[in-house]
Amino acid sequence: MKKHILFSMLMAGAAWQPAVAAGILDDVVTKGRMERNGDMTATMPSVSDSLAYEAYLDSISRKFDLGEVVVTGTRTPKFLKDTPIQTRVINSKDLAKLDATNVQDLLQQELPGVEFSYAMNLQTHLNFSGFGGQGVLFLVDGERLAGETMDDVDFTRLTMDNVERIEIVKGAASALYGSNATGGVINIITKQNKQPWTLNVNARYAKHNEQRYGASFGLNGKYWNNMLTANFNRMDNYDVHSAADPVTRIISTVYGDKTLNIKDQLVWAPSKNFNLTGRAGYFFRETVRSADQPERYRDFSGGLRMNWSISDSDDLQASYAFDQYDKSDYQRITRLDIRDYSNVQNSLRLLYNHSFDRGDVLTVGSDLMHDYLYNTNLEGETRKQNSFDVFAQYDWHITYKWEAVAALRYDYFSDGRDSHVTPKLNICYKPLYNLAIRAGYGMGFRAPTLKEKYYNFDMSGIWIVEGNANLKSEVSHNFNLSAEYTKGHYNFTASMYYNKVKNKLSTSAPYFKSPTDKLPYLPYSNLDDYSVCGGEIGAQARWNNGLGARFIYAYTKEQLAKDKKGNTINNQYIPAREHALNVRVDYDRQFTKHYGMNIGLQGRVLSGVKNVEYKDYYDVSQGTVSVSYPAYTIWKLSLSQRIGKAVKVNAALDNLFGYKPKYYYLNSPITDGVTFQVGMSIDIDKLL
Amino acid sequence: MMNWNKRNHLKTTVAGLGLMMLTACNGIFDDIYDKPEEIVPAKGQIVMDATSWTDWYYVDLDRLHQLATSGDEAALLKAQTEFEAYPIPMQATGDRVDTPTTADEGKDGKVIATQGKKAGLYMYWFDVFGVGIKNNTFSFFEPTAGQTTPENWTFAVHRNNVRTNGGAVLETTYTSMDELPESSEAFRNMTFTEDEWSENAVWNSQDQMLQGYVPSQGIEVNKVLSSWLSMEIPPMPPSFSLNRHVFILRLKNGNYAALQLENYLSPNGKKCYLTINYKYPY
Repeated sequence: MKKHILFSMLMAGAAWQPAVAAGILDDVVTKGRMERNGDMTATMPSVSDSLAYEAYLDSISRKFDLGEVVVTGTRTPKFLKDTPIQTRVINSKDLAKLDATNVQDLLQQELPGVEFSYAMNLQTHLNFSGFGGQGVLFLVDGERLAGETMDDVDFTRLTMDNVERIEIVKGAASALYGSNATGGVINIITKQNKQPWTLNVNARYAKHNEQRYGASFGLNGKYWNNMLTANFNRMDNYDVHSAADPVTRIISTVYGDKTLNIKDQLVWAPSKNFNLTGRAGYFFRETVRSADQPERYRDFSGGLRMNWSISDSDDLQASYAFDQYDKSDYQRITRLDIRDYSNVQNSLRLLYNHSFDRGDVLTVGSDLMHDYLYNTNLEGETRKQNSFDVFAQYDWHITYKWEAVAALRYDYFSDGRDSHVTPKLNICYKPLYNLAIRAGYGMGFRAPTLKEKYYNFDMSGIWIVEGNANLKSEVSHNFNLSAEYTKGHYNFTASMYYNKVKNKLSTSAPYFKSPTDKLPYLPYSNLDDYSVCGGEIGAQARWNNGLGARFIYAYTKEQLAKDKKGNTINNQYIPAREHALNVRVDYDRQFTKHYGMNIGLQGRVLSGVKNVEYKDYYDVSQGTVSVSYPAYTIWKLSLSQRIGKAVKVNAALDNLFGYKPKYYYLNSPITDGVTFQVGMSIDIDKLL
Repeated sequence: MMNWNKRNHLKTTVAGLGLMMLTACNGIFDDIYDKPEEIVPAKGQIVMDATSWTDWYYVDLDRLHQLATSGDEAALLKAQTEFEAYPIPMQATGDRVDTPTTADEGKDGKVIATQGKKAGLYMYWFDVFGVGIKNNTFSFFEPTAGQTTPENWTFAVHRNNVRTNGGAVLETTYTSMDELPESSEAFRNMTFTEDEWSENAVWNSQDQMLQGYVPSQGIEVNKVLSSWLSMEIPPMPPSFSLNRHVFILRLKNGNYAALQLENYLSPNGKKCYLTINYKYPY
């Protein structure tokens, strides 16, 4: 019956009712069989209408969580409990409780070992368990994002409106996803509307004139459904003040921005075994660092995806994706909007699954991408590249207790005619029905970007950032081992990993080409081998009295890379903090039919970290110094009140204990004290 | 349920994908952006590329007035847009001095002349990556030759610095040349500010900025007129802000001129590419 399960999940996609999935899970465990989505929904009461019920459906509740369908680890739909690749899920109920605006806001609240800091020019930079923004592949419904700044995608594009869940897979996954998946994959899955119609409006206000407005409108017909989402956020710039004599760079202004996100997704399903999904999106951000020349960022995205269940055993997915990310400077005085950057990605994708009688699944896929980059700081201003890949994966259910998944992929990049073969192997062993042990090896690679190859950028007269056409790909070897145990209300996880990274792509030591050079060159280089190792221990429980708690501790040891000659160099970005703890405790109670509340406390504790920095950037022979960045902790208290079926009133005190960094270093938390947030969300369809 | 066969599925998908692929590989919606175009000065305007860190550019308002009245459009346009560069002397003419020898103090007690207003390069350390450039200290001095000038000039520009040829400046509250009173009579009894000594404002190199060290030319500048364009660090890269007020310049010969900085960005967004409105004689 396994092929039957795969078919159901593929066609239903993310649209499963959580309660249905939870019910199915028990079915699967006890009977080893499951019904199709359509058949099940007909028998389910409309429990999800109850806002009170939502409290029990977050990812702390393992009954729900393990029954969730995930796709990222294997590129095929699998139950979370079944997937041989350890996957962390943040679902829509978590999102509602955390009230995050975008993925940055969310991940730092929810995941230990994830830190967002500032890069050199005060652009946001991610450190994800020792890997920077270019080593973590961000996907939206499986599609890549165009554009980067200081090696990171634009996180403000990834708003949390209309997100069904976020799947996080740590470790190298290039055998399935190609370049950039050296440290992990974060896949944001959007919602599909299943109700006849839905209309939600929401708003939030906080310190620094932070305003957030969102609306989503869904319609569902016999053969089609549509979801339109719009979101607007804004926050003012504000100054922060450090004590005297900082030991390294500090920031003095936090830049707010205005962002607008509009997305539409239309699904046409003329038959049970075929559907087409079309989507279009527009994103706009304006950041004002210089009053007369605001920076503007735009993104135009679109796509078409076909899901076709050819037979009970064969599924085919074909898709086309377009993503264009532009940067421009608006000259306010002359009202001229001058573009200086554009990255356009056109991708075609084929994905075929064949299910065998015993439950094994063969996956074969191929991608073709055209990458266009225009950048006024690029040698020649424009560069183009085609990339092609083909991959295969076999998911082998060896016995009831053992499962193995192996994948192999070939990638080709036209610029430099670079190619890679990338393997992956994961094994899952379930000695007990509630204990899963997973082990895996994965290779990851990151092909040098067109920017890293051809950049030539005079950075404000400080130095010239210089591309290197001879760069090799960065390659990582990831070994991981994890265990997950569930007993009653409790769930425990433990994991450890080791990454060996070769040819790390980074800027290297600044140098003068000739004695007459006024400015040093900061070249992109392949650095020497280095390693990142670490682990996580987590415990969580949700009891019937409405109380839930989760503690996750993460350890990350990021060895700093040296150059190929063994010289210590200034790390391009501040490394990961060694110790991190994330805590979430919440309590939910429904007092009457029309009133309930959820009170939650979330916190994160991060240890200090040391970085190696040059004494003198113009004379690196003077060596380096070790700079210590302090530890800190931030807590958030939130209260969500449910009034009737349709109204939620949220209030939160972020940075509850009013932590203020003594020095606002690049990796300090961006806060100037306690922040009060107040917001409201109304499901208008439920009012009527 | 619609009767869909495999051929229909494929046709629909191929048609859809084909339609989507019509989008340009090099992107869409180019038209929403503007193309950089050369700035052509209007009547009563100067367009000056003052982006150089190492040069002064001189404006002779008398000459501009003569050309405007002569009717020689080509010569006027040239005078409105082309300005000879006068390099800041960089060659040391004496020994480096690491300590202040004299210390003239301003009203706030801040040292404003460490070497008795000698011409030369003054190296200051600025807190570029800390609290900002308002926090700065003298590091060393190297004497150089004095700044060369043309025979006739009214004011000179170096990036965001302006100095006058013995003139003095008043900042008005007007933000448009058209709103100004008929003549300068209205301003004549007001207080005009003459040029003042400066040794940490006329930055002439960024070469050591990453360490916070920036050399400046020791020279007199007009701080009131220079306030038409101010630079702040942080942030990094620096932030520039435009003061749209009209300034009244009283020349050495007693004539008056009205000046306003209209824009400081080049068509490509390069800073210190100035479009200046002027009215002379005023």
